Amino acid sequence: MTTLITGADGYLGRRIAAALRGEDLVLAVRCADQAELDRKRARLADVADAPVVPVDLRDADPFAQVDPRRITRIVHAAAVIRFDVSRDTAERVNVAGTARVREFAHRCDRLDRLMLLSTLYSAGRRRGQVGETRHDDIGFVNHYEWSKWAAEECLLDRPELPVSVVRLPTLIAEDAAGDVAQYNAFHHTMRLYYSGLLTLLPGDPATPLSLASAAFTVDAVTALLAAPTGIYQVCPGPVTLGAAIDTAFAVFEQDPGFRRRMLPRPVPCDPASFRDLAQAAQRLRGGPLQPALASVTPFAEQLYLPKHFTTDRLRAAWPGYRTQDAAALVAAACTDLIERSFRVPTA
Amino acid sequence: MDGLYIGSFAHALGARRRHLRESAAAGLLQSAPEDLEAAGFRWHHVCEPGGTAYELAHAAVAEIAAGGGLTDIDAIVYATCLPGETGAGPVRDVKDLMDFPAGRLQAEFGLSRAIVVGLHQQACTGAIGALRLAGALLTTEPAWRRVLCVTADRFPEGAWYEQAYNLISDGAAACVVGRDPDVCRLLTVHQITNGGLGRAGDDETVGTYFAYTHRLVREAAARAGLTPADLDWVVTQNTHEKAWQILARLLDVDHARIWAPTLADVGHVISADAFVNLSALLGSGQARPGQRIALPMAGFGLNWQCAVLEVAR
Repeated sequence: MTTLITGADGYLGRRIAAALRGEDLVLAVRCADQAELDRKRARLADVADAPVVPVDLRDADPFAQVDPRRITRIVHAAAVIRFDVSRDTAERVNVAGTARVREFAHRCDRLDRLMLLSTLYSAGRRRGQVGETRHDDIGFVNHYEWSKWAAEECLLDRPELPVSVVRLPTLIAEDAAGDVAQYNAFHHTMRLYYSGLLTLLPGDPATPLSLASAAFTVDAVTALLAAPTGIYQVCPGPVTLGAAIDTAFAVFEQDPGFRRRMLPRPVPCDPASFRDLAQAAQRLRGGPLQPALASVTPFAEQLYLPKHFTTDRLRAAWPGYRTQDAAALVAAACTDLIERSFRVPTA
Repeated sequence: MDGLYIGSFAHALGARRRHLRESAAAGLLQSAPEDLEAAGFRWHHVCEPGGTAYELAHAAVAEIAAGGGLTDIDAIVYATCLPGETGAGPVRDVKDLMDFPAGRLQAEFGLSRAIVVGLHQQACTGAIGALRLAGALLTTEPAWRRVLCVTADRFPEGAWYEQAYNLISDGAAACVVGRDPDVCRLLTVHQITNGGLGRAGDDETVGTYFAYTHRLVREAAARAGLTPADLDWVVTQNTHEKAWQILARLLDVDHARIWAPTLADVGHVISADAFVNLSALLGSGQARPGQRIALPMAGFGLNWQCAVLEVAR
């Protein structure tokens, strides 16, 4: 059994490779030249003793260096994961790239599983209960969401392939201890609040957030490799936006530097107000507000679209599933952010 | 603040009216001119070389005097952001560092029974702080009738005419708080200070503006027994026009009731532009007796202050 992992040098791909250490793996990475490939091979050598092959999903035949006869499982983790990604890039990498993985999968005679790592937000503008089923296109908040939905459809349209679509939550820490290794919209937003650069809260405080650790998510992915095919939603137990902010500020307010600045908790605002703020911030010369807001704004509209993700299939397929305390994870991540990133050292 | 009125509104602006693109070309702005124009700014007023803040204050008070409004003044409350420039070189006699513009006004206008009070820790909110002090003085001094409130600032030559992304004008404003019926009743004044943000940069100032101004207006209205939705007018400082589109929604106030018609012509006159806008509202004939007006201001320090008035006539 040989597992091909695309995007193996990415945040999640690298951790999945580590979790599958000891199995027969092929690690596919994107690189511009031999030097970059050598660097990535060196880094991945710490993770798994496995061949590292160059694969650029934008190429016509990206898997030219992979023998399809030996591949039995594909974990497609490669993607552009940015809420502000352009439509063109999202289409070329996330959609057309997935189509190329599909083409390669058709050539893998012994294929047992083609797993696409997707996102819970492939649900787009839906509100309310979201099932572990295919989604219709009812619109999307950003091109990233659209592209992940389109990638799901690209694979789910082919019943002859053993496809699993695993919709992932927002990863905010390595594990329950809260170590933060990669920033995303969550961390950028927390930095704005901690710094006093933002006092508006985009979203309905009652909107559930699906926040998880990388450890929980990797456990889910590896468990689902052995589960029946189909769609799974990896949702560890939600926390509301309001509770997440309250939790974050409770942590911030333990910090003497933050406490001295007496920064207020943010005021919930409507979508138009947040758009106005983001638009106005684009013209604020060179300060930190504009780039930080730019990373948050393309996602902010989701925070007005409350969703409750069902996890019946996930829990049935993954006996090890345990609900996670998302508020505790927020607290741990914010503690780590203050200690290692936010706090300005004093002389 | 029962039984207190406010009137005799006057203001003076720097003599030279200049387009912001001219100031940008002269190196007096930090932002690109097109960015300030996108915020709604166009023109601002600067003093001629050698002109002073005191001259602006004098001009505003002279307007009140010309209208017969300087009778029975028991106190002068003088607010400024920039209380004095220190000269170059070593100082032997610290008297050289002192300046007494309120005292000079007292002498100049013959307000012999007035005492003077200076206020310079409230930045752009000082004019509202002057109203609060005036009310407090009249409350504790039953024999007093009227307090002259003045605010004046002039930026040093060569300084940027931009603060916290706002185009700045040199200017002054003055009014009288007293016991006799006047243009408006002074219902309340509310202040919030966060000294922990005393050295806040421009982005922090902008970032905290919304939560604090939201809280300020709600709390000020509540002190007058109102909600923000009960306010007939919110007369604001001249700041980015998007700011009050956002705040109007947060406060559930119809944006048509946000009043800052001098944004493009005057810019942000430190502590005076809300009074410039208030004069424009009262002069427009749109404010009716019984209507309630909020004057929220934000300033460095960081300070936020809001007065609530009721149109009396």
